[in-house]
Amino acid sequence: MREVAIIGVGIIPFGRRDEDSLMDMLAYASLKALDDAGLGEAERPVDAVYVGNMGSGIIQHQTAIASSLVDRLSLLPAAAETVENGPASGGSAVKNGLLAVASGYYDTVLVVGGEKMREVTGWRATDFVATMTHPQSEYPYGITLPGLAGMFTRLYMEKYGVTREHLVYVALKNQAMGTLNPYAHVEMALSREGIFESPHAIVNNPPIADPLHLYDACPVSDGAAALVLCPLEMLKKVNKLPVVIAGFGQATDTHTLQEREDPTDLKAVTLAARQAFERAKLKPSDIHVAELHDAFTILEIAESEHIGFFKKGEGGKAVAAGKTSLGGQIPINMSGGLKARGHPVGATGVAQIVDIVFQLRHELSKERQVKNAKNGLTINFGGFGNNVLVFILRRVES
Amino acid sequence: MKEIAINAYRCKKCGKVHYPYHDRCMACKGRDFDTLKPQGKAKLISYTQIFNLPWGFDQRFLIIAVAEFENGVKAMGQVKASSVDELKIGMDVKASWEPVRVQYGEHVYGIMYTPME
Repeated sequence: MREVAIIGVGIIPFGRRDEDSLMDMLAYASLKALDDAGLGEAERPVDAVYVGNMGSGIIQHQTAIASSLVDRLSLLPAAAETVENGPASGGSAVKNGLLAVASGYYDTVLVVGGEKMREVTGWRATDFVATMTHPQSEYPYGITLPGLAGMFTRLYMEKYGVTREHLVYVALKNQAMGTLNPYAHVEMALSREGIFESPHAIVNNPPIADPLHLYDACPVSDGAAALVLCPLEMLKKVNKLPVVIAGFGQATDTHTLQEREDPTDLKAVTLAARQAFERAKLKPSDIHVAELHDAFTILEIAESEHIGFFKKGEGGKAVAAGKTSLGGQIPINMSGGLKARGHPVGATGVAQIVDIVFQLRHELSKERQVKNAKNGLTINFGGFGNNVLVFILRRVES
Repeated sequence: MKEIAINAYRCKKCGKVHYPYHDRCMACKGRDFDTLKPQGKAKLISYTQIFNLPWGFDQRFLIIAVAEFENGVKAMGQVKASSVDELKIGMDVKASWEPVRVQYGEHVYGIMYTPME
């Protein structure tokens, strides 16, 4: 197996992008990544293209988007396919690129993740995301992903003593970081009074899936992000310090929450992390910065425990104590996370890696840059934890 | 009262109860199952009240729960209550088979839980 480097990254501002089609967004992010890799003018820059996307067939009524993208970018005759794996589609696209390059089958690969969700009503977008629930035993009841997260939160609170205040700390931290990220969907800081303390906070921050409130959830977003991968050994000519994918792991869990022996146990996170750490020959305390899948605030806390940053029951207190803020023990979601950067489902897994690459290249402003960051980690959480990918990235010094 | 028209599956080899259907037993990987119906009252495992409903629901909110029946079948259902304040984890609920949504002008039936306390 060859060591795989990330030689180019690209991301476009997430949010509501009425002026762009899904294909526009995929193309913009791809071109930025190709340019960043110094391959933007190359005759045949990549051997293969993997596109992470969950919903173009449902939302845009357009399928086979990878074929369309290679044509639009004049990357023909590069191999191309779309990878669909729910909200982990982006991570799965990266995994496909990683395996293709590591195996020696392809040398340079473009991975792009994108989703355009704001062109339908919230009603339709909620239903679109709910199509990943079980078609007989869950979907007919009107369950949504926020609903599954609400049921999970209630159990996690009861078992581990997580409080609403702990969740509020996650929202405050991530939205504050979002104000510093030019690519974030929500560039607005929240106040503790406005979403929690004031007797009128319920007006700003009503329950959406009890016990979760509006500001516990990520926004519905449009956006795209891209990477260019190649074997580290081919990189002698590149001046830029590369970042390598040092470890990767993926695991699955039951489709329905009720069939898990302990529904608070995110087994797929634990198992995927174990594989990634083993492959990277690192442990949780070696990680300097992480992007976790905080589609709901509770998930940042639960994932930080399952990945091994904190003991079970300590994650909420850790956020409150600033241990996951810049300068803390393990800064989490310095991009603003899904909570502020946004969650265009197919883009997220790629965007998380783009943000960690920025961190490991030490390219961010000092308000977001983790000093001397060398190892970073991402969790891309599909379904409600039934398909999870963990990546560990390492800065290559020489 | 209508029968709860879901089938759960008990592995013939090890006895593990499944719902929904799996082609191989989650525990022993056996392929032969007896079907069984949820029986008796159920206990709430967890619940939520959702206010942002998916397309297809024209109402203010839904209360949704997962519960475990006396014979070990665990299943999701809607809950007949006006607020989650009426519920708590572990409480007994009674299940019935009632319309849970309307699709193409027709009722779709499913499990409806009603609190017993």
